[in-house]
Amino acid sequence: MRSLADTGPGRLAATTAALLALAVVLGYLEAVLVPPLPVPGVKLGLANLAVIVALVRVGAARAAFVSLGRVLLVSLAVGTLGGPAFLLSLGGALAAFVVMWALSLRATSFSPVGWSVAGAAAHVTAQLFVAAALAGSPAPLALLPLSLAASLPFGLALGFLARTVLSRLPELSLSVAGR
Amino acid sequence: MTRGDLLIVIAVAGFALLAVPVAGVALVQPAEGAVFSSPAGETRVALDAPGRYQVAGARGTVTFEVAEGQVRAIAAECPDGLCVNSGVARPGRPIVCAPNGVSAALTGGGAGELDAVSR
Repeated sequence: MRSLADTGPGRLAATTAALLALAVVLGYLEAVLVPPLPVPGVKLGLANLAVIVALVRVGAARAAFVSLGRVLLVSLAVGTLGGPAFLLSLGGALAAFVVMWALSLRATSFSPVGWSVAGAAAHVTAQLFVAAALAGSPAPLALLPLSLAASLPFGLALGFLARTVLSRLPELSLSVAGR
Repeated sequence: MTRGDLLIVIAVAGFALLAVPVAGVALVQPAEGAVFSSPAGETRVALDAPGRYQVAGARGTVTFEVAEGQVRAIAAECPDGLCVNSGVARPGRPIVCAPNGVSAALTGGGAGELDAVSR
């Protein structure tokens, strides 16, 4: 897939900012509009769509900026900054990003669908470990089987969605640049 | 979807299955001791020390038995004997003889049940 990295720093920065904005909006909408799912810790993970697109289009460093910046800004918007929910989000986002970045280095073996599934699994696993550390009890880990199983369909769905978005993104970028 | 993606899907499903024993360990936290409370104060005992303990309450004495890592009330000087019929104490679920002001609760463990879930 074509990267934007060679199209100039201005466009790169603009694309990164647009992806961060997209991640924040998706994360915020999911936080305030989507009702909690029956399995604790499992979310649709819509914001991860922007992170996957960023990994492909603007590189790992800027994708990390999108991922962690999204956690910071959404926490600020919903009023959880610095609290346990923020630490859970941060732990999940960090773990998901590291796993997806590692897989993206083997782009011939793994597609964004695989990154998404692995990222979702890493996200829920890290969140439960952070929850166990915060609670001082291993009890949250009891949710691990259910959370991992639930992360699978969401990771797959988001991965296919990311693949579709990525296949159409070059046209979108050109239309923006043409204005 | 690549073959690598398929392997990831299988691995995540496998980890979910492998995590089932982890969940069991996380939920089962054995209690370490018991505390008998009465108007006179508290008495702490280890669950690995079998024996019978008489706890004087406001209206009579309740006899608890510690055996096989469990605590139960075996006798009470009260007409109803509700505590005797309450079975063994569980983490977070003590045996209580309210009129006597006597109770037996497990310590050092936990039921592993979550009080609340936030996101």
